[in-house]
Amino acid sequence: MKSIIKFLLSMMNNFKAKIGIYILLSFLLVSILAPFLVGSPTDYVGIPLQAPSMDFWFGTNGQGQDVFAQTLYGAQKTLFIAFLSGLLVVLVGAMLGGVAGYFGNRLDDIISLLINVFLLLPGLPLMVILAAWLPPGPLTIIIVLVFTGWAWHARVLRSQVMVYRNQDFVLASRVCGESNFRIIMVEILPRMLPLIASSFIGATIYGIGAQVGLEFLGLGDISQVTWGTNLYWATNDLALLTGSWWTYVPTGVSIALVSLSLTLINFGIDELANPRLISERHLSKRLDGDFDRNNATPVRKIR
Amino acid sequence: MTILSVENLSVEYVAENSSTEALRNISISVESNEILGIVGESGSGKSTLIKSIMRILSAPGLITSGEVLFNSNDILEMTDEEILEIRWKEISLVKQKALNSLNPVSKIGHQIALPYRFHMGMNKSESEKKARHLLDLVSIDQIYFDSYPHELSGGMRQRVIIAMAMALEPKLIIMDEPTTALDVITEHEIIDSIRSLQKELNFSIIFITHDLNLLLQFADRVCVLYDGEVVDYGTTDVIKSGGNHAYTKTLLDAIPRIDFSAKPDLHNKNNLDKILSLDSIHVKYQLGSWMIPEILHAVNDVSLDLYSSHITSIIGESGSGKSTIAKVITGLENSDQGKLTQYNDGHEYEVVHDIEFRKNVQMIFQDPFSALNPIHSVLHHFERPLLRFGISSEKDIKSKACELLEMVELNPAEDFLSKFPHEMSGGECQRVCIARALCSNPKLIIADEPTSMLDVSIRSDILNLFIKLKENFNLSILLITHDIASASICSDEIVVLKEGRVVESGATLDIIQNPTHDYTKNLLKSSRDDWFTKHDKER
Repeated sequence: MKSIIKFLLSMMNNFKAKIGIYILLSFLLVSILAPFLVGSPTDYVGIPLQAPSMDFWFGTNGQGQDVFAQTLYGAQKTLFIAFLSGLLVVLVGAMLGGVAGYFGNRLDDIISLLINVFLLLPGLPLMVILAAWLPPGPLTIIIVLVFTGWAWHARVLRSQVMVYRNQDFVLASRVCGESNFRIIMVEILPRMLPLIASSFIGATIYGIGAQVGLEFLGLGDISQVTWGTNLYWATNDLALLTGSWWTYVPTGVSIALVSLSLTLINFGIDELANPRLISERHLSKRLDGDFDRNNATPVRKIR
Repeated sequence: MTILSVENLSVEYVAENSSTEALRNISISVESNEILGIVGESGSGKSTLIKSIMRILSAPGLITSGEVLFNSNDILEMTDEEILEIRWKEISLVKQKALNSLNPVSKIGHQIALPYRFHMGMNKSESEKKARHLLDLVSIDQIYFDSYPHELSGGMRQRVIIAMAMALEPKLIIMDEPTTALDVITEHEIIDSIRSLQKELNFSIIFITHDLNLLLQFADRVCVLYDGEVVDYGTTDVIKSGGNHAYTKTLLDAIPRIDFSAKPDLHNKNNLDKILSLDSIHVKYQLGSWMIPEILHAVNDVSLDLYSSHITSIIGESGSGKSTIAKVITGLENSDQGKLTQYNDGHEYEVVHDIEFRKNVQMIFQDPFSALNPIHSVLHHFERPLLRFGISSEKDIKSKACELLEMVELNPAEDFLSKFPHEMSGGECQRVCIARALCSNPKLIIADEPTSMLDVSIRSDILNLFIKLKENFNLSILLITHDIASASICSDEIVVLKEGRVVESGATLDIIQNPTHDYTKNLLKSSRDDWFTKHDKER
């Protein structure tokens, strides 16, 4: 636990991670505080398709609803679904990948086959079909995202578990009579924390994109306010033809910013967890940036 | 003539706000046609030194002072292009873990020919002719020209690497622990051919190793490195007779020598309780694909009896199946045939790997750093087995753990409880591992190469600890090792294993005084100090 807190603190010293965390936190804060900041996003507040003004910062949409309120409220559901699906994807991936990698043999053969089948399935069409077939709603979206997203993470985590499986510290735990479940949960998985964290972030980015895509196609619950349905209604109201850019640009920029922030955090984790990048950064700092890893060892004579 | 002279070389490893000095004012020189040996324990900076000489030290290494004069040109002043001209052509390198430095998907002949094509611009047939000549030089049969690396033994692969290093007739070859991964017999063969090649082709060698005993047998001059500094530097004879520094003496004393002294008569096993017996154990691995399976007989009909207050050593080279036996006993690996029998208070029953059995049989692993989980503290490593085996309750775990740490001579014990593996030295980690194995008051401890990853100066301490444990707690210890000298120091009985079979076994003194099998004789011969002098005389 102490090491996790230490890791999080050191994230704040990394420039990329810091920017990413600030962007993400501000989105989370604004979405949570939405009820106190703006009115209801579904109320008719003014003449439809008004351009941004002091009254309506982001203008109004085709139904006369406040786009600013819709963007803030949209963040709530979109981010919730994205993080939850990211968490579930990694959980399923870690469980199946961990079991396959740890036990090996026949069990590994079966799970690996399953992983390969899911990797081969064309994700997007499957997602569209599943979402159209199941009753619309956030739960459907989450199920679809987890169903189509777990395999990649399972494969990555499986190979890492296989690396640790035969290391002496695992064998030592087995000789001490530890249960397999405990060995996976307490000895192996915590060592893979950076990998799991970056898998989680990758899965979350995928969760945002896929979710917005499905809802944009009208496969979500269109009565809800999310970033995806915002875009769906914008197209339905012919926003492009009427030139009312303010109905889709704020949502689009928000999606891009959140994805960017998550990617920056991922870079930060990589730079902090990868010892080679750490030492190169230190050396580069000492040499005032005059460092190239492809060159001969630098010489900087002090005396 | 001096080929390479290093003057006041200092190297730092740069960290966030500080830096560690890896090398401090190193001055050494290499004459032409000379073998300079550099010896040091792990962390003494010997690899850093040669990497700095070739300027291939990667981040965060930074050279902070000094000169490296090669043919009176300073390598430290050279541009990247100038250095590329020197590497391989003038100075070449045989790296540590050379067994992995061959490309597994490319043929041997092709790989040896590559430097000729890249550096000399030769065409295919010309370069292959040169490559065949090189194979002759290192006495590898031409039929291996079209073989892939995995078809060659470890010793042959090492010869190939040396051949590649010699390809462009460099004036200096740097060898970084070239024989560490090989067994003693192959090690001596390789060094023998290095010596004759060096005489024939006139090049200089910097030979880096942790094994002073080996170095003293063939180097012209020896440099002793300790904690980034040259503490002793002189001709082999000077170093052999004690050197000029106390540390050299420590290293000399730590050289494991075969112990011919008689031991208390424990050979009469009738007085001892049998603890465990292995009855014609077979382990087979299936290699290759499922279509063309190849069966590897890792352990072939091995029978063994283990007694209390008795140390049995299994000696064998890598791949002889000695670790597999340990894994079969502890249930980490299943045997295909054979029976494991456990004896307890006069009862005998077949081994089931349940918690009761694990309580009685514990294991110590080769690499102390990987045997401890780096994310957990020392206390955690005791907490689990103590609770699991019901040895102590939540409350007195700490006091019990301290007791165990004191047993393995880690003092003050309280300080170690909160430490993490990376905060301790290799020797301390191995002691923690031993203490963990002692948690459950076991009757049998299996130690798989417990000293091979440790510095020579602490090896004998660990072996002596084993003897103490045996005497004080009536422990049975199964010591698995490749080193007949360390086995002779502490064991009562020796079992020699080759290619999965027991070739010889008996009381320690009998084996080292009157070996019957050729392999054992070879092993004993190679671990003598005067191997090369004797060998030269024979020729």
